[in-house]
Amino acid sequence: MSGPLVDGLVDGVIDAHGHLGSWFNFAIPDTSTEGLLAVMDRCGVATMCVSHLLGVGPDARAGNASLLDELDRYPGRFLGYAVYDPHDPQAPARADELLSAPGVIGLKLHPDTHEHPLDGPGYEPAFELAARRGALVLSHGQHESPWSDPGRFAVVAPRYPEVQLLMGHAGLWPSGFPAAADVAARCPNVTLEICGSRMTSRHLAWLVATAGADRMVFGSDALFLDLRVGLGRVMLAPLTPDDRDLLLFGTMTRLLKGTP
Amino acid sequence: MKVVDANRILGPVPTGDVPSVDVPGLLAELDRLAIDAACVVHSYALHYDPTSPLPDLPEHPRLFAIPVLVPGPLGTPSPADGVRVARLCPAEHRFALTGPQGLALAGELAERGITVLLGWESAGFGAVDRLAKELPGLRIVLINTGYRSLRELAELMDVHPGLRVDMATLCGHQSVEWVARRYGAQRVLFGTGSPESDDAGPRFLLDHLDLPAAEVELIAGGNILELLR
Repeated sequence: MSGPLVDGLVDGVIDAHGHLGSWFNFAIPDTSTEGLLAVMDRCGVATMCVSHLLGVGPDARAGNASLLDELDRYPGRFLGYAVYDPHDPQAPARADELLSAPGVIGLKLHPDTHEHPLDGPGYEPAFELAARRGALVLSHGQHESPWSDPGRFAVVAPRYPEVQLLMGHAGLWPSGFPAAADVAARCPNVTLEICGSRMTSRHLAWLVATAGADRMVFGSDALFLDLRVGLGRVMLAPLTPDDRDLLLFGTMTRLLKGTP
Repeated sequence: MKVVDANRILGPVPTGDVPSVDVPGLLAELDRLAIDAACVVHSYALHYDPTSPLPDLPEHPRLFAIPVLVPGPLGTPSPADGVRVARLCPAEHRFALTGPQGLALAGELAERGITVLLGWESAGFGAVDRLAKELPGLRIVLINTGYRSLRELAELMDVHPGLRVDMATLCGHQSVEWVARRYGAQRVLFGTGSPESDDAGPRFLLDHLDLPAAEVELIAGGNILELLR
């Protein structure tokens, strides 16, 4: 009875939330960029928007340098978010320079790793820069986190209405999905990105019905998580074809049109 | 390819309004995802009382009823004849998996050739290690292992050949392929944990694994059907 549900490649899928590199907290069997590309090819993801995990973790400067190397090696397959470290006094100037590099589309904020609130002063230069340069901002968004709760997106988004702010993980926990949808309803410049191991296709369908697929983008969190699991959640969720297209490339294509 | 979900829940759950609240709803979900059959535990046995009689599961060729067992004088009776797979939930049901009563029950299951589904968070590394050491003939399928536990899983699977894992939340980058290549596809089972974890992602992954077709068939359903025989 059963066979492949989705044959062949799906043209033009854009993964809005991915990573290169490795991580301390668990084993990733293959951390190579080539291995990630092979998985992308296997399931039809054309482009992945990535930050480097060395940058998300201890060393934004070195991680961002590695990011540029990989963007240069695989133009078009990867687009980059430069990690913004709110503790680095040179971050504003460095980020400004990074946004001029080919393939860099925006800034990645990880308030939980850097232990600095999204609406705190350390990130003000990042938002000001993003506003000036037309860059996207992707931030980790974790419900009830002291650093990245959806409520902090609702504080910061109106301060910079010209900045397109992606809420990574849409709150992360199922308990946070309603709060994330509420922020999207109140803040027209906030877009929900949907990766996370606790998300189900049922949750996803609820978010689409509540927030609207035009306010959401597909992300996988690869190579933390397996790209195919996140993509499959979108491919096999009970969604209309139009909404699925918006998640897989429509919304992100619109957002990318304004980037550097 | 026969696709059998080794890890599924039937009935209402406290965290949401789910389609699998009843048999027709569950079957519709299986149809939507092209899953041929499923091993199901009833939600009452997980979240209410595993020792009370459960709502009858109608005989259905696509559903395999999996009893949830509890050891000791306050536990469940011995599994009925014909049971081939059962589930233990030591953390949720507050018993010691490797205490005297837990080991007695597990010993009975090993002797009768009954496979145990065991949640990773419910048992933990130490208890799984001890259980597998004490009862090397017991077949254990670790379910809901998550994506952060691969190093611990590898340590256990290296030394305990009776251990298997399901795919439900084994969702780290290329983790399924890594486990299948190192330990053999016969030790990996398709499962979802649905509706408490996602079913669509693992189902899609199954269709896009970078493994030979014969190995994917084992993972998809061959392995669990062998354990159910």
